[in-house]
Amino acid sequence: MLLDPERILGAIVESSDDAIIAKDLDGTILAWNASAERMYGYAAAEAIGRNVGLIIPSDRPDELKDITRRIVAGERVQHFETRRVAKDGRVVDVSLTVSPIKDASGTVIGASTVARDVTVNNSRIQQLKDSEERLRSIVEAAVDGIIVIDARGAIEAFNPGAERLFGYTAAEVHGTNVHILMPEPYHSEHDGYMRRYIETGEQKIIGIGREVTARRKDGTTFPIHLSVGEMTLNGHRKFTGIIHDLTSRVAMEEQLREQAALVRLGEMAAVIAHEVKNPLAAVRGAIQVIGTRLGAGSREAVVVTDIIARIDTLNLLVRDLLLFARPPQPHPIPIDVLGVLGLTVDLLRADDGHGNVAVTIEGEAPHILADAELLKIVFLNLLINGAQAMKGQGEISVHVSRDGADCVVVVTDTGPGIPPEVRGRLFTPFVTTKSRGTGLGLSTVKRLIEAHHGSIRVDSPEGGGARITVRLPLA
Amino acid sequence: MEMSPPAVKKSPSPRVLVVDDEALIRWSLSESLSEAGYAVIEAGDGASALAQASNGHAFDAIVLDYRLPDSNDLRLLERIRGLQPAAAVVMMTAYGTPEMTSGALKLGAYRVVPKPFDVHDMVAVVGQARESARGF
Repeated sequence: MLLDPERILGAIVESSDDAIIAKDLDGTILAWNASAERMYGYAAAEAIGRNVGLIIPSDRPDELKDITRRIVAGERVQHFETRRVAKDGRVVDVSLTVSPIKDASGTVIGASTVARDVTVNNSRIQQLKDSEERLRSIVEAAVDGIIVIDARGAIEAFNPGAERLFGYTAAEVHGTNVHILMPEPYHSEHDGYMRRYIETGEQKIIGIGREVTARRKDGTTFPIHLSVGEMTLNGHRKFTGIIHDLTSRVAMEEQLREQAALVRLGEMAAVIAHEVKNPLAAVRGAIQVIGTRLGAGSREAVVVTDIIARIDTLNLLVRDLLLFARPPQPHPIPIDVLGVLGLTVDLLRADDGHGNVAVTIEGEAPHILADAELLKIVFLNLLINGAQAMKGQGEISVHVSRDGADCVVVVTDTGPGIPPEVRGRLFTPFVTTKSRGTGLGLSTVKRLIEAHHGSIRVDSPEGGGARITVRLPLA
Repeated sequence: MEMSPPAVKKSPSPRVLVVDDEALIRWSLSESLSEAGYAVIEAGDGASALAQASNGHAFDAIVLDYRLPDSNDLRLLERIRGLQPAAAVVMMTAYGTPEMTSGALKLGAYRVVPKPFDVHDMVAVVGQARESARGF
């Protein structure tokens, strides 16, 4: 049986899923297959003989002219994405392939148009875009830093969280090696880690997560938890790092450790106090009795006096340690801060070596609920610190004021100020800048103020001197 | 059963009981108080202190350490006060808490003196305690 090529072609055209139409150069529709009927809603009988403008949206008036010009020039138009309007007004996204129809002499007399409905395709793309938008908004809004690097370590993505944590903008770090975000030794070793992982596949951090130290743009470091994921994008390996800032958690752990250490220190101090003070009492009493039997003014009597003085110094040291390690519970009563400050200045006067220090007290004095004895220790420590910093020469001014619910006491001296290297450790016990001293003064002051629910800060203003600000809640 | 207070006997010099487990403290207090005219009796622990307090002789003063090998609270003070109600009591402590101090004062101790102390000051305190006890 012979197959009629015309009939075969006709069958192919009719069975195609694509809308196939033919038109002359004026745009008059000459042929309209079954898919065109389905896609555009017009029956072949309705469409044939009418102008193809029938299905062209009004916002694209020049499209037909452009296509026709190219067809007349003998071109083919391929995968031209546009829109058509169906009979019921529905907009159809189509991808067009338009080919010239020529007569026997080769003159272009019309065009065939194969239109593929890509509406479904487009909605899929829209879904992907929406999904990407959702994921992007999560990445953008994340508090954690999210960084994508390529297999060589170059940064490809850097979210706002990472910008905040590290102080770099995404633009600054794009394409830069991720090791700029690491302090030594990781800074130098990171390229090696990545090479080793890519060679061996041995996972040291991927899928496990690890607490490490990160480095900000300004060079400061901070503790982070880093989790790393791996993906393949277009055949390229990428790594995603999620950076969770541990600064506050580490600070809290540090605080808890400090509290636990203080509790242990307190227990230890109580034992030491008893076990040291008892023998001190024995030695002091015995040597004192012996001293009374030595000739007055004799060399030995002088030595005994010195021994007693040393014992008393030792006892003061134990007392200071106890005061820090086991500060007494405050017994608060309403007190006049100015009055307590006045008494404290008298105590400073009674102390040797601060004779040339002028102390001025000014301001208003709201009553506060506090333990006067403990506050005296606080203020005396601050005054002695100032006096010692000024080597016994200079002025200390104390200003008392009210700020909201706080009584604020500011102690300023005219000394050399606080050396930068000490500023971070002012309240650390057993750290001292003096050649002799326990380094307990300010630590004890801080504990006593905190026992009063107050706070203390120390500044070293431009122009020298130290400024200590104590805030105590008003009664 | 509380023992009845012993009968007071006249004594040429005032009698003081020094209670501490540290021999050097007993020695220095004993020497200084003797020089000040006291007749000093020593005890190294709570049991001997109670024995001394209940043997029929009245003490004018008692210098008592808070912490002894067989005593670590205020019950010893309470018992001694029961046995020697007329004696002025001065307590010593190497590490006193405000609670312990106020408890001791409530039980009639004249003062709680922290260790270490000046022995001459302690002699003076014992004198003041006696005056205060006689004043009642």
